[in-house]
Amino acid sequence: MIIVMQPHATADQIANVISQVEAIGYRVHLSRGEERTIIGVIGDDRPIDREQFEALDGVEKTVPILKPFKLASREMHPADTLVSLDGIKVGGPRLVLIAGPCSVESRSQILETALAVKEAGATALRGGAFKPRTSPYSFQGLGEEGLQYLAEARDMTGLPVVTEAMSEEQVTLVARYADVIQIGARNMQNYPLLNAVGRSGKPVLLKRGMMSTIEELLMSAEYILAQGNGRVMLCERGIRTFEKYTRNTTDINAVPVLKQMTHLPVLLDPSHSTGKYDYVIAVAKAAIAAGADGLLVEVHPRPEKALSDGAQSLRPEKFAQLVREVRRIAEAVDRTV
Amino acid sequence: MIIVMQHQATAAQIAAVVARVEAIGYRASLIKGEERTVIGVIGDDRPIDRTQFEVLDGVEKTLPVLKPFKLASREMQPRDTYVPLNGTLVGATRIAFIAGPCSVESRSQILETALAVKEAGATALRGGAFKPRTSPYSFQGLGEEGLQYLAEAREATGLPVVTEAMAPEQIPLVARYADVIQIGARNMQNYDLLRAAGKADKPVLLKRGMMSTIEELLMSAEYILAGGNSRVMLCERGIRTFERYTRNTTDINAIPVIKQLTHLPVLLDPSHGTGKWEYVIPVARAAIAAGADGLLVEVHPKPAEALSDGAQSLKPEKFAQLVRECRAVAEAIGRN
Repeated sequence: MIIVMQPHATADQIANVISQVEAIGYRVHLSRGEERTIIGVIGDDRPIDREQFEALDGVEKTVPILKPFKLASREMHPADTLVSLDGIKVGGPRLVLIAGPCSVESRSQILETALAVKEAGATALRGGAFKPRTSPYSFQGLGEEGLQYLAEARDMTGLPVVTEAMSEEQVTLVARYADVIQIGARNMQNYPLLNAVGRSGKPVLLKRGMMSTIEELLMSAEYILAQGNGRVMLCERGIRTFEKYTRNTTDINAVPVLKQMTHLPVLLDPSHSTGKYDYVIAVAKAAIAAGADGLLVEVHPRPEKALSDGAQSLRPEKFAQLVREVRRIAEAVDRTV
Repeated sequence: MIIVMQHQATAAQIAAVVARVEAIGYRASLIKGEERTVIGVIGDDRPIDRTQFEVLDGVEKTLPVLKPFKLASREMQPRDTYVPLNGTLVGATRIAFIAGPCSVESRSQILETALAVKEAGATALRGGAFKPRTSPYSFQGLGEEGLQYLAEAREATGLPVVTEAMAPEQIPLVARYADVIQIGARNMQNYDLLRAAGKADKPVLLKRGMMSTIEELLMSAEYILAGGNSRVMLCERGIRTFERYTRNTTDINAIPVIKQLTHLPVLLDPSHGTGKWEYVIPVARAAIAAGADGLLVEVHPKPAEALSDGAQSLKPEKFAQLVRECRAVAEAIGRN
């Protein structure tokens, strides 16, 4: 960290800051400019609360130098992390295509969708049994019954199951049925939940909050990694901006930024990031061209009857088209589907 | 437009709104729901100022049904508009690569860059002679001298020149030297400038403002089209969000959205869209995969010495790599 002193900071104030830095075991590097003095703190100062220095007399501001995440960073772990998912190594050359309905609505709906997405080329099945809905009056999911249907769909198709846990208490239950535990965008900063999935030992799909920065996403991944669970996949799903023609704004920059900063696999969810099915295929192709390791796509056999997210769900035949078009892009960037 | 009446609107208030709609020459269609009454205005009501209804007693709000742009819309013109640029029809199957430095800094710099981007596969040369800089103390561009160097670079390479005009008075001067007049992001809603570009005899490259919606971009295009100039190309260049790791957030959704709403060609500027050269190539590939008709890329022979936008400028060899990788993506979607 760098501590920038105010222009009129006194020698006493500067000396006081230096002694505080040394008192907690770090070294200082002093640089006296024409207008002001700057104090560099030498060492891994991530654990320091910068505010304790900002409260000192004569300090104008502090500027972090190190990124606040460590286990998630490429500096700590230069090689890509590969997360095994039923024969696919997510993060390797082969893309993972996770598809299925927003919500598990019934046994027949999830079985029908699972067969259809498998046929179209999906590598895993998604579907929510516990649903974080904006309105408390909307369909809230089937709960454990939904998890049972998902397990049945896995038995029938062989597709591994990705499904969400919304609270710490649900993690054990979800882990019993799911192959991957999803942390949804609204729970990206639910720290007890992150700690619980960190302890679960299951692979985790961590979605970026719609109002969260890339750095905050990586700090949330850090929580899971710090619990000893190294199998974390990240997912960009669109952020909130002033643009109104789409539900969210796909932050396509996040794909190369994340691939540069972290060793964890990066997926993209074009269904949420656009909110309209007409734009899903174009943005799916863009994600793969930008270097994403896979996609999370909402597919429903009858979107007009879906209990949630109908407008952004693809019909199975449209999903099959997505897979065909994405395959060609994957080949153009030396990857496979 | 739809006029939503308040919950407790009286019959007299509803009748007054209907009378008003009819008085200005439209028909009204009344829908009486259980909780409230809704009045549909039938006809092309784009010229109506909706606020004149919102001030009437008993009206809760009005909702537009028609998109506010007309000439720019696909409904008015279903087939794609192609803008010719150096043998490439921008908007058709071939991808346009417009490359060059942020600013024209010197004769040798622009000539060197023009030769390098031409060699790497560029379709056109970009470079600013008039520069809209955030700080009045930053380099403001070479002005007409810069335009002369651009013209010389065109002679040397055959590449058409894309350069910005910042004020209506600059349009005749810029049009004398340039093949395409660029309207920069900060001027997207400079309506006098848009009107002047609409009267110009040159194609226009209109960049989206960093704080503008897609609808506002299309309304600005509408100004140019309404002025009689139909050769308009749109360019997404990133919008301002809360994300701090990149200079802007590239709105990749804008590509399929704009292609659906309008017939005009759509380009993407991954240099401004990201702000860092390391991210330019992946986002350029993404743009082509999403359906963009071309790219606007900042290239500088020595980014470390650039007078502007050095951090987001590619070296010529990196630009050559960008062209190769985008070509592979273009072929994967049936373009070239």
